[in-house]
Amino acid sequence: MLAVLLLRSASAFRRTIHSAAPLASAAYTHPISPSDPAVSSTPDGLTVEQRRALDAALRIDQAGEVAANYIYKGQFAVLGRERATGALIQEMWDQEKKHLDVMNKLQVQHRVRPTVLWDAAKVAGFGLGALTGLMGREAAMACTEAVETVIGEHYDDQLKEMEDMAPSHPSMPLLKDVIREFRDDELEHLSIAVINDSQKAPAHALLSSVIGAGCMVAIELCKRI
Amino acid sequence: MMEGSSPTSQHQMHLSRRKRLEAIQLTIQLSFPLIKEYGFSRETLARSVLTLPEPPSAPLSDTAVNALFGEGDSARRTLINAWLDEGRAQMRLTPAESISEVLAGRLRYNEPVLSLLPEAFALLASPRSGLPPLDARPALRHATTIADDACHIVGDASVGHSWYTRRASIATVYVAAELHQMSSPETALQFLGSLLRSTTTLESAVAETSLFAEYVAKSWKGIIKSSGMV
Repeated sequence: MLAVLLLRSASAFRRTIHSAAPLASAAYTHPISPSDPAVSSTPDGLTVEQRRALDAALRIDQAGEVAANYIYKGQFAVLGRERATGALIQEMWDQEKKHLDVMNKLQVQHRVRPTVLWDAAKVAGFGLGALTGLMGREAAMACTEAVETVIGEHYDDQLKEMEDMAPSHPSMPLLKDVIREFRDDELEHLSIAVINDSQKAPAHALLSSVIGAGCMVAIELCKRI
Repeated sequence: MMEGSSPTSQHQMHLSRRKRLEAIQLTIQLSFPLIKEYGFSRETLARSVLTLPEPPSAPLSDTAVNALFGEGDSARRTLINAWLDEGRAQMRLTPAESISEVLAGRLRYNEPVLSLLPEAFALLASPRSGLPPLDARPALRHATTIADDACHIVGDASVGHSWYTRRASIATVYVAAELHQMSSPETALQFLGSLLRSTTTLESAVAETSLFAEYVAKSWKGIIKSSGMV
């Protein structure tokens, strides 16, 4: 219950800070001007390598959000009945739903091919979430910790890669802001997982390594297919 | 940096490469209106310079065409691919609200050079050397890029496997309509319309089947839960 209160306080604090400066993702979730080039067009002056890098980045991000959604869905299916844990998972899941909604719009905007492994990401995500949920609350939190660690680092790497990518096109600064916002959200989930005893999970080191390695393999696959 | 080359010679090489690319682009653009008369041929490329505001006294020589586009059929392949790219560019510029309008527009783009297309596509499908005897990749690229562009033009927002199924069905419809157009141009647009209607019916049937399967799965979930097995 304390963790839920902490999460809600942190989110409320962030919302207060951001109420003066709206979240970058609001351009997609609450669009004021859908025909604004920042949300409706993709740069056409990218080199072939840059276009491939952008495609791969958004494909991986979208697949990652699909998997994250289904991980929380699986965890909620098992642990949802526990009041405190259920509320915690639901709150993080709601944020991932928003992430996925924005990623879907970015995929369409930048004309990116989604991963062929879309359905596999759903099945694997749900399976991982349900399995760690069955192992217990701490194991579910360890799963969240491991996944959000990889995703947070991955978003960071992408920001570095996008540093010099078409800075004059209006969509790119917005894309970077969105990725920055999502990275911060994922790191917030990571913190929440740690606060909620993720490191007390049985065989925490092994669980984290296996899940982390699985995420890295998924990233490499989604980069290509 | 190449061994033994100075920054000046590097710069000169870059400039000459850029000039060559500009010359290729210009020659191709000037060639498009001539395709109907001279075909997807080296002659078309050679004669393109005669349409310049201040034309030279003679078309480009064979040596010049080789220098810009390569020897043999390379020049023809480049011209055909550029013409196909121009078709897609015109698709994007022509306002359309439905897939039907977009694809109809693309089929109309074929009309002036329809009789030349079978040979053009056959050339693209023939390998540059050795086996296999047929290269299906250019045809696949042609169909899939048109399908992807068409989806983008009408604002299709499919994600996941729907992205693939939508484009696969549109690509299939377009290829069938284009093949029909080559043998029966007068009925091509009606054929396109009927194919698209069938595809829509098929997509609805698949969606309804998926929905039915979902209901069945939920029912079983309920039955298992109420039996106390879980």
